Amino acid sequence: MAGAALSRGFEPFKSAFEQVGLMMVLTVRTLLAAVRSPHPYGEELVWQFLFVLRLSWFPLIVSTFALNLGAPGLQAAGILSLFGALDRLGGFFVVIAIRWIGPLVTAVVVAGVAGTAITADLGARKIREELDALQVLGVDPVKNLVVPRFLALMIVTALLDVFAIVMGLSAGIAAELLYHQSLGGFFATLFSNATITDLWSSVLMCTIFGGIVAVVCSYKGMSASGGAAGVGRAVNQAVVIALVAVFFFQFLVSSVILATNPELQAVR
Amino acid sequence: MNGWMEAPRQWLDSFGEISRFGVRIAGLVYSGRVFKFFGESLRQAGILIFGSALIIWAFVLILGLQCGLQGAYFNRSIGAPSLAGLFSAYCDLREGLPYAFGYILSAKVGTGIVAEIGAMRISEEIDALEVMGIQPLTFLCATRLLGAWIALPFLYLVGIVIIYGASYISVVHQVGDVSSGGYLLIFWMYQSPTDLIFSLVKGMVMATVIVLVGCYYGYTASGGPIGVGTATAKSMVFNTVAVHIIGMLGTVIFWGANPRAPIGG
Repeated sequence: MAGAALSRGFEPFKSAFEQVGLMMVLTVRTLLAAVRSPHPYGEELVWQFLFVLRLSWFPLIVSTFALNLGAPGLQAAGILSLFGALDRLGGFFVVIAIRWIGPLVTAVVVAGVAGTAITADLGARKIREELDALQVLGVDPVKNLVVPRFLALMIVTALLDVFAIVMGLSAGIAAELLYHQSLGGFFATLFSNATITDLWSSVLMCTIFGGIVAVVCSYKGMSASGGAAGVGRAVNQAVVIALVAVFFFQFLVSSVILATNPELQAVR
Repeated sequence: MNGWMEAPRQWLDSFGEISRFGVRIAGLVYSGRVFKFFGESLRQAGILIFGSALIIWAFVLILGLQCGLQGAYFNRSIGAPSLAGLFSAYCDLREGLPYAFGYILSAKVGTGIVAEIGAMRISEEIDALEVMGIQPLTFLCATRLLGAWIALPFLYLVGIVIIYGASYISVVHQVGDVSSGGYLLIFWMYQSPTDLIFSLVKGMVMATVIVLVGCYYGYTASGGPIGVGTATAKSMVFNTVAVHIIGMLGTVIFWGANPRAPIGG
């Protein structure tokens, strides 16, 4: 009796663990299919790359600029102007725009824009039984549909991260100008505090975010079921899981990178 | 050049329609017509609490940990580790919590509403409601907005407790440059009840927009089962941009002219 109640209480957790496991299986299958010949996904890879770029560039630019102007720009500039140290904003933007918000907003935008599109697309194919038809024809859906999306999203997310950093630093410049400050101090502290480690860890982080978003969204799309409501529900769950996974992963990675690289903690 | 300007153009197109739709829904709530279905509103509030509270708080917890971590290392690098509380206070209350709330609401609640109402639209349940003499806009959309206004402020306030705890854990226990007392002294010094109200207003404006956008895309979904998926994806795109713009405008309005810090003249 108690055992039955207990197992019912753990039912959601059990299914969550099951799904995480299945996503891991899909990741391994995707990686294996990507390296094993033949490689029929070249054309689809280019198409997906352009598709994601076309969808994401505008939301990304607006979002990064708005977030960096509001959160680190005006808040930090407000308090730094009380100290009379507005030139220190450059050093602050290394921490915020490059280490943290660049990858974060890129991942949110890619998950929200490209991830949802992938889930809606694959879910629609699943509901119309196109995936089963592909399998009957001897075409592997993982190799032909998931692998190109996985690779394209990894490349696009890493590239968009560079643009997110550029837009973030422009927002920092805008905040300086709003406080009528000359930009020499900003650039001086920016370049003396920025390290190569910051840049490569940011881009590497984003590459992995792209992989996470692609696997989660492909898995949810390929396991959609239940007619009209099913695809919508799949998109809903996919974007929630992708966001939580990305944020959690970023916390782990930045903990490790900040703790193991003393040059990021130096006083400059 | 053709496909590249599609995103901004679509976005501008839908902006006007969503505003008109949103004003109509808000009018239905303000004129009190929604109270005919007050039970349904309470049910929607209950669904929000039981379905979304845990995931919202888990997300907020992760962002709080990240806020504390980045703040602790930044303050170590400028040689003032004891001021980590300043960074956490600003990051948690003023920026981090509204953004975390906006992200996870648009992912969980916004797309959830689109999937639900969109499925009703596709299976012609909305037309059936109209035939039965129940106004679908009031019954489906206005009740959800009222439900969100009932439930979400409380979820937000509990989220504040969670994000504060998370930052405390990562600054004091994970990085450990500053003692508990030293951290809390600075942390409480750099915030005030007014900041809390401002932050709550910011979060609630985001929540209102997200619910309205969800209702709009669900209500106007078309094109069979695939249409629901596409509408859900579109609502997420719109919400992602809207959350950031509201966050920036909120910061400019509330803290742009006056940083509200307990220092200086």
